[in-house]
Amino acid sequence: MIRHPLAWSAWATAALAAAFIDRNPFLQVLLLLIVINVSIPYRGGRRIRNWRIGLALAVVPIIFSVALSRFGSHVLFTLPAIPIIGGRWTLEAAVFGASTGAALLLTVAIFGVVQITLRSAELLAILPRPFYRAGTTVALALAFAPKTVASLHSIREARQLRGQRSGWRSAPQLLLPLLLTTLEQALQYGESLDARGFGSRRRSRYRPVPWSIPDVVVSVAALLAVVAIVVIPPPPYNPYANLLPSAPTVDNLLSVLLLAIPAVITSFSRRDHATHHA
Amino acid sequence: MWLGAAATAALTVALLSVRPAHAAIHHAALVIQHSSGSLITRCVAFAEEQITGLQLIERSGMQWEAQDFGSIGSAICQLDREPSTVPPGCFGSGPYWQYFHRQGGGWQNSALGASSSTLHDGDMDGWHFAAGAKQAPSNVAFAAVCAPPPAPTVTLVATATYQPTPAHTATAPGQTASIATPSPGTQALAPSVSPPAATALAATGPPTRPPPGSLGPWLLLGGAVVVLTGLGAFNLWRRRS
Repeated sequence: MIRHPLAWSAWATAALAAAFIDRNPFLQVLLLLIVINVSIPYRGGRRIRNWRIGLALAVVPIIFSVALSRFGSHVLFTLPAIPIIGGRWTLEAAVFGASTGAALLLTVAIFGVVQITLRSAELLAILPRPFYRAGTTVALALAFAPKTVASLHSIREARQLRGQRSGWRSAPQLLLPLLLTTLEQALQYGESLDARGFGSRRRSRYRPVPWSIPDVVVSVAALLAVVAIVVIPPPPYNPYANLLPSAPTVDNLLSVLLLAIPAVITSFSRRDHATHHA
Repeated sequence: MWLGAAATAALTVALLSVRPAHAAIHHAALVIQHSSGSLITRCVAFAEEQITGLQLIERSGMQWEAQDFGSIGSAICQLDREPSTVPPGCFGSGPYWQYFHRQGGGWQNSALGASSSTLHDGDMDGWHFAAGAKQAPSNVAFAAVCAPPPAPTVTLVATATYQPTPAHTATAPGQTASIATPSPGTQALAPSVSPPAATALAATGPPTRPPPGSLGPWLLLGGAVVVLTGLGAFNLWRRRS
């Protein structure tokens, strides 16, 4: 079972490198399949909410590219001379947008995997000393954002129960209680940090995460994949120049397939471990 | 979500309907217009499915100097000895070589440099040495450059649409009669407008068939997709049970 935060960080870095550098659609489909497979065993309690955002991010570049770009020889249809969007809408522009959208979708999917496999506290524990303060601040801020949204929802619910309207006009009546609640929570955070000795010189390590064999395997594979992806770049794919993508090379395929190792390892480990992170 | 699915389906259909590859001798046309207004046209035969705009210029036997601009492709700094020296920064400050593609009945400004744009059978590229944006060259039909029934044995047909200087007697097989009388200035700038076809062939070699695609990457890709889909299904089933 892969537990170490560094192993997951290495995997995510390699996957992001592949998503940004490979624009070949075959490699993109393969990478998406790998990311989905890696996430399946960990999808226990926490639900993945951001797949809608990912899909929207994938569609928006298609619309923008096809509506604004006039290059390419395969004309889909021609609009009359409307400013900005008038003219020939080409297939090349749509394919270029789809290629960009696929890269964005992959990025969201990789961060989705990181979100369900990595805990911010574990990542914080392995940060080197100079970054510890800054890391703690970022982790606190990240933990604070969902709490603020939750308190906003509860304030709105309370207003609705009292029969008050909750439109845009009621924003000032919403914001003041929200500010008070947030300040109260911030004070609580500060007190709890104080009680745990944060800010004193010594930094204790509570329950250090050990390196297991799967962690090492995944990290080494991810490092190899990063090197391979950077050293052997895929043949450039430009839909404006050549609509049909070329076949991926065996080297590119193998470097992307190295990222599938977490999926293979977790599939063949016992199940009670799989629910550990859930 | 349905919008995304529909867009994906439409793109898949559109990609599949793109014309398939077939082995034959293809022809692309090249139109070069000097600042004096004189036109030079060339018809280039190639066996590949497509060639780049730079390959078209190379195989036409014209003199050229280019500068690479990364993924956009290379810009042509000097073509057919105009301008007489390569200007600083390739483009200089005055007129420069503007690049166009023939689309429908008109010229369209090229989005890419000569080494990144591609030509298929029946495509035509236009170059115009002019100042200011989007100065398209004169209208020339593809059929006027590449004669409709191309001779099967001739692999490179060079046609010049204006008479060269007496000092450079043309030996190109497809030479046609002159249309415009060039000014002496153009002739001085462009001494190598019609090289013999044999020289051009010797320089570029006869067109060769592209190597057939190997099956290895496809087998690996297909195998990986099948294994990953099976693994995902297995994991989903294991979570259910």
